[in-house]
Amino acid sequence: MTTPRKKKPRKPRSPGATSVAPPSQPAPVEGQQPSAPMDLTDRPSDPDVVARIRELEARLDRMIGEHARERESTADLGAEAPRQPPQRELPSRPPEAPPGVLDTARELLSTDFYLRKWGRMGLRSRSEEVDEFGYDPVYEQKVLPFLDFLYEKYFRVEVHDVARVPGEGRCLLVANHSGTLPLDGAMLRRAVRREHPQRREVRWLAEDGIFHFPFLGSFTNRMGAVRACQENAERLLEQDALVAVFPEGVKGIGKLYRERYQLQRFGRGGFIKLGLRTHTPVVPVAIVGGEETNPMLSRVEYLTRALGIPYFPVTPTFPLLGPLGLLPAPTKWKIFFGEPIDLEGYGPESADDELLVGRLTELVRGEIQQMLDRGVAGRRSVWFG
Amino acid sequence: MSGPGSSRPSGSNPGSTGLLEGAGGGLTPRATAGRRSVAVTGATGFLGSNLIGSLEEDDRIGRIVAIDSGPVPTAGKKTHCYEIDLTQPRAEARVAEVLAAERVDAIAHLAFLAEPTHATAWAHELESVGTMHVTVAAQQTQVRKFVLWSQTWLYGAHPSNPNFLTEKHPLRAPKSEPFFADKIEAEEQARRLGQRSPGTVVTILRMAPILGPTVHNAFTRHLSRKIVPTMMGFDPLVQFLHEVDAIAALHLALLRDVQGTFNIVGDGVLPLSTVIKLAGRIALPVPHPLARTVTALGWVAQLVQAPPTFLKYLRFLCVADGQKAREALGFTPAFTSREALLDFVSAQRLRDVKLLAETAA
Repeated sequence: MTTPRKKKPRKPRSPGATSVAPPSQPAPVEGQQPSAPMDLTDRPSDPDVVARIRELEARLDRMIGEHARERESTADLGAEAPRQPPQRELPSRPPEAPPGVLDTARELLSTDFYLRKWGRMGLRSRSEEVDEFGYDPVYEQKVLPFLDFLYEKYFRVEVHDVARVPGEGRCLLVANHSGTLPLDGAMLRRAVRREHPQRREVRWLAEDGIFHFPFLGSFTNRMGAVRACQENAERLLEQDALVAVFPEGVKGIGKLYRERYQLQRFGRGGFIKLGLRTHTPVVPVAIVGGEETNPMLSRVEYLTRALGIPYFPVTPTFPLLGPLGLLPAPTKWKIFFGEPIDLEGYGPESADDELLVGRLTELVRGEIQQMLDRGVAGRRSVWFG
Repeated sequence: MSGPGSSRPSGSNPGSTGLLEGAGGGLTPRATAGRRSVAVTGATGFLGSNLIGSLEEDDRIGRIVAIDSGPVPTAGKKTHCYEIDLTQPRAEARVAEVLAAERVDAIAHLAFLAEPTHATAWAHELESVGTMHVTVAAQQTQVRKFVLWSQTWLYGAHPSNPNFLTEKHPLRAPKSEPFFADKIEAEEQARRLGQRSPGTVVTILRMAPILGPTVHNAFTRHLSRKIVPTMMGFDPLVQFLHEVDAIAALHLALLRDVQGTFNIVGDGVLPLSTVIKLAGRIALPVPHPLARTVTALGWVAQLVQAPPTFLKYLRFLCVADGQKAREALGFTPAFTSREALLDFVSAQRLRDVKLLAETAA
């Protein structure tokens, strides 16, 4: 077993550039003059300086050694496996300034060159590391103009009482789900990011169905959505995140047009159990306007299992106009935030109290339904609000 | 740990010994345990041979018993090699004989395949039946400690997985695939050993895919092609474990008597597409129904190296949470997932241009 070490890209590096050459000196050229540190130690006139330099070098060596050992303190059980310092440099970066024309030509002719270029181009639109739930800030930044267009011009989102969302600490936003295409999570995230005084970041929980689909699943994941399950939600809340849930789930996005703004059942109250277990306040949220974007006339539920989808939507435009028919209608959206409901008073063991969970779930559901009713009654037009 | 002359406590560096003693002091005190005798099965494999190399340097280990069907390249003065083929019916008695003769008090059972094979019957004999031989022998000789190597792959890749799987999660890898089924059975047997003989501490280490400069497994081979097929529209998060961390975790588990199952994973996750880009490869997106058909045909014709069930790992999440190992076992990975990948990539580059010979691991 050999220790493979990465070969340095050939670069005409002068030794003085990295060592302790005095800064006033021009970069020494190889062979023209002896390197600076040699010069210093050989000079007999100032032994004091020499001793101090020696001492400094020894201290530096010790510090480097100690740091390396600290990193290995757990791994330090003496494997013979080769060990390299973790390479910080991006491997897809080509060496800078190849020295000769011939080298350049050889570089251009090798397939490796194109592979590395390709790799660099691909990484330009994304960050090298996503967060632990898969959110990629660089990628979101790229899609942001489109989202902002939807937010400002298309849906003309109006936000009410966003300051009711606590400025810090964990919090659960509970909202009604709507639209055949679930755009409400992304819009809610945008709304809090833009309008909240603390510009908080919302992570929303998306139903599992999305992750079955090609493109849609990884796209929403990079945008900050997380698969809805207790484990994920708990982990997020433990990091004091602001988490949005849509307890209606698939039943919510599968609502027919005539059922609009009538909240479906709220599952088994999973979000309340979550709030009780993690001591998280709950903020009810009503999104008005979203439920008319893709008015569903009927849903076909047979033969859809083979496609891996819960239902096949029929809207005035879909499947009549093909994929174009899935374009959301430009309705006017309003997002209302309710008063936070504090669950501090109950202990974590009350999460097993089905009666209490049911009562609290109904309380939140009633709150949202009221806000929805008020919002719907207060508008004159679906399109202009 | 690393190459020659790096971090063993030597006289030249008086400041360092205190630190190392501190790390070792948390382990079983030297005075009571004495010098231990440790057995390693699958000793010629990557993990086995490197673990033996690491144990050779450890003063707390008095004797190493290497059990495999061939010679061990890293065997030193402390290592006693025994050629036992675990697929043979007589293996159980022979292993028990060796364990008793060498007065072994801890076993690391590493005789598992890192890559799927077409010889499924032989693999079953080695992994499932072989584990039975070893566990029965361990029970007979009242071994104090049993460490089993396992993989986080056994959780299975599902769209309904939480982002971080804990040890409590059921193992949902496809049971129809012998590669997974045999390993799940092996885990089951190790757990039963813990129940049958209360004197034996059973530790199961489920490791994330191992990457590093020298290791060879299904994942390193997937990434060593110039063009890497991916599933069109799917970009799951993946995590890795550096080979050094894998060895260190096994070593640690042998020394610390902590019962239970632990996920051994590197920190951080990467989208698969980023992995391919960092490796300087070209991703070839293939619609997954097509990929499944082609792979299934290729597997039957022995043209591809992985059966179609592995394609699920290119579509869905299978990421484990290493928190329990951190708290209960005291294992902290030295490399993040990304660092492990970059370390693998830098060695792979040299292999690409034939500057580094393929190691036969």
